[in-house]
Amino acid sequence: MKDTEQTEFFVQHLTECQGRLFGYIYSMLGEHSRAMDVVQETNLVLWRKKDEFRSGAPFMPWALAIARFQVLAHVRDQGRDKCLLDSELVAALSEETEQQVDELETMRTALRKCMSDLPREKKGLLQLRYYHSMPIAEIADSMGRNVNAVKVALLRLRRGLADCMHRRMLEG
Amino acid sequence: MASPEIDEFEHLIFDWEDGTLDATGIARLRDLLRTSPSVRKLYVERQMLGAMLKLEGDAGIAAPDVEHVGLKAATSSSAEQDTRGQFDSAEDPADLPFMLHSREQIGEATNPRYASLLFVVAVSVLVCVVLTRWMLVESRLQSAGQRVPAANDVLPEKQEATSAGIAVMTRLVDVEWQESERQFTVGDAVSVGVVGLESGVAQIEFFCGATVILEGPARLVLESSTIARLKSGRLRAQVPPAARGFQIHADELRVVDLGTEFGVAVNDGEADVQVFDGEVELYQSNGEQRLVTAGNAITRAVGGVVEAAQLTPDEYLGLEALDERVRNQKQGRYQRWLGHSMELRKDPRVITYYSMEQDRYWNRKLASSVVPENRDLDGAIVGAKRVVGRWPEKSGVEFKRPGDRVRVNIPGQFGSLTFACWVKIDSLDRWYNSLFLTDSYQRGEPHWQILDTGQLFFSVRLGGGPGKGHHKVLSPPFWDASLSGRWLHLATTYDVETKTTTHFLNGEKLSEERIPDQLFVQQTCIGKATIGNWSSPTRPEADFAIRNLNGSMDEFVLFRDALKPDEIRALFIQGSP
Repeated sequence: MKDTEQTEFFVQHLTECQGRLFGYIYSMLGEHSRAMDVVQETNLVLWRKKDEFRSGAPFMPWALAIARFQVLAHVRDQGRDKCLLDSELVAALSEETEQQVDELETMRTALRKCMSDLPREKKGLLQLRYYHSMPIAEIADSMGRNVNAVKVALLRLRRGLADCMHRRMLEG
Repeated sequence: MASPEIDEFEHLIFDWEDGTLDATGIARLRDLLRTSPSVRKLYVERQMLGAMLKLEGDAGIAAPDVEHVGLKAATSSSAEQDTRGQFDSAEDPADLPFMLHSREQIGEATNPRYASLLFVVAVSVLVCVVLTRWMLVESRLQSAGQRVPAANDVLPEKQEATSAGIAVMTRLVDVEWQESERQFTVGDAVSVGVVGLESGVAQIEFFCGATVILEGPARLVLESSTIARLKSGRLRAQVPPAARGFQIHADELRVVDLGTEFGVAVNDGEADVQVFDGEVELYQSNGEQRLVTAGNAITRAVGGVVEAAQLTPDEYLGLEALDERVRNQKQGRYQRWLGHSMELRKDPRVITYYSMEQDRYWNRKLASSVVPENRDLDGAIVGAKRVVGRWPEKSGVEFKRPGDRVRVNIPGQFGSLTFACWVKIDSLDRWYNSLFLTDSYQRGEPHWQILDTGQLFFSVRLGGGPGKGHHKVLSPPFWDASLSGRWLHLATTYDVETKTTTHFLNGEKLSEERIPDQLFVQQTCIGKATIGNWSSPTRPEADFAIRNLNGSMDEFVLFRDALKPDEIRALFIQGSP
């Protein structure tokens, strides 16, 4: 049946864009669980509007436009107490973010290579902070190091990773 | 290398992510973002890196050898506790967490990542489907009730995404709705907005888990899944621990629940709060706060003075008492239906009627209720189970498996026809979901079914060339998952005088269509036919040979006449559960 095909096609698109959607939304909100909520909301809207999407048209710009609406709505609802960006900043940052999101999968490949080159304890530090969202104070506590030392180490690590990724991506 | 601005930004964003940045810092961060393009670029890069690390993290945690951490470990705080717990108890605290993700796992993250994403998508799509259908009905009901959500010019998406409802209407007893407000039926989702009772009692279950019994006359404004504002009237709230923090606002008084059962009444500017169990926190507009514990009550006068009051739990209808009233109401409705059914049996326009009143569960014969009695019209139940119908006293037939059906044989020639039934649809699994299908599909034979799109489908075969041999009349989609498991009254009339087919749902006209002259059939007939399925299709190899209904039916009637809309309406009202 034609509709079924259309739906499968749509689900495939939707599946493929999850990482990039998350990348975009997380960049705008900077907080994992709220970003996940907005990703879900965006999926919902995308699903509802699936009839408006024609198979010939590029999926990602359409999905990102809707994601931007959802981010704006979230920012508006949550207000300045919870969100770093206000609607003006979301607008100002959207274009840059959309461009970078476009390369997300390439960047992830680069990131994995760079991560695998890291010494174990550095990788562990990143994992605690980013995989487990552990606050700096707790990381410091658990490692018996002071907060500032952990912070400096993480800042350096992050910079190093970003540089490494740039190099890797230039290498292709 | 890095400019001081960039350096400053990196520290600020780092602290912000950590949740340790103060208001001054946040303001400065926003300023930097506003004024410096290079800061904006860096912000996106850093955030993107954070996002990618998160994605890697989610993927790694889903890997099989760290299963015990659980799928949602990266986001759930309890799972974080677990990890930390292990961490603390480990002999070498520096080592253990790093072992959670070995080098290989990072390298192999693709597959589990994909799997977990698929899972997320599958779940969200499922949720979407359910919510979407729900919202569709919502909007349909709302437009029917002349209530349109407040227009939102800037962000229409948000409006739609939040209109999914924040509560469910679970019980209604003797309710008269305020004229200006929406009318609900049991099972309806309730969105942000007003529930206005002229009289009667409504039980509303909030998605957070709190249950509110609202006694009319009353006006309750639902503000979110955890907050409602009582404008007037009386309510009793039961709040299980999972819903702790549920709030009822009464004028400027805020009642915040701490896991309990309490009552609130608002009357001419006076507010009463009574705590039957547990305790609540009371916030007044002047900032004063007080705890009211079980067995205590307060009253707030018009002027704002709050004082202790007498506890009067009997004035607040509880769940148990409501249940009693619901049962009485149900019993009353069953009796009303029975009375109407007795009359219907004698209606000379009835061709066949299966009232399914008190049929024995072991009886595989579906007795025709037509008076005078005609045993030839009895149906045969094949596969289908006897189940409870709209009321506990009444039986019905459940169709589940592809073979389930009721076979009937209805001789005679007719002109106009009316099909009507009470049906509970669990889901529409097939392209064609049968209500009533004649075995063959010859000239004059009607087919009555529901498409998987939720549309009623009625056609009478003209005969002749393939494909062109009938005029199908489709209703707009009326069914979606939100109606799953609800008893619905469906009816379709075929009027040979006006050459029109009309579809009805719950006594209301869904659509009406005139049949083109060249496809119109004057004389109708039934012969051997099947309720809830399709028997011996003429082409057994056909794609759509399986048409079993997934659901139950507890009343079916066929008339040799096109009933008028008010007669259809009466069938619905008299049989309403």
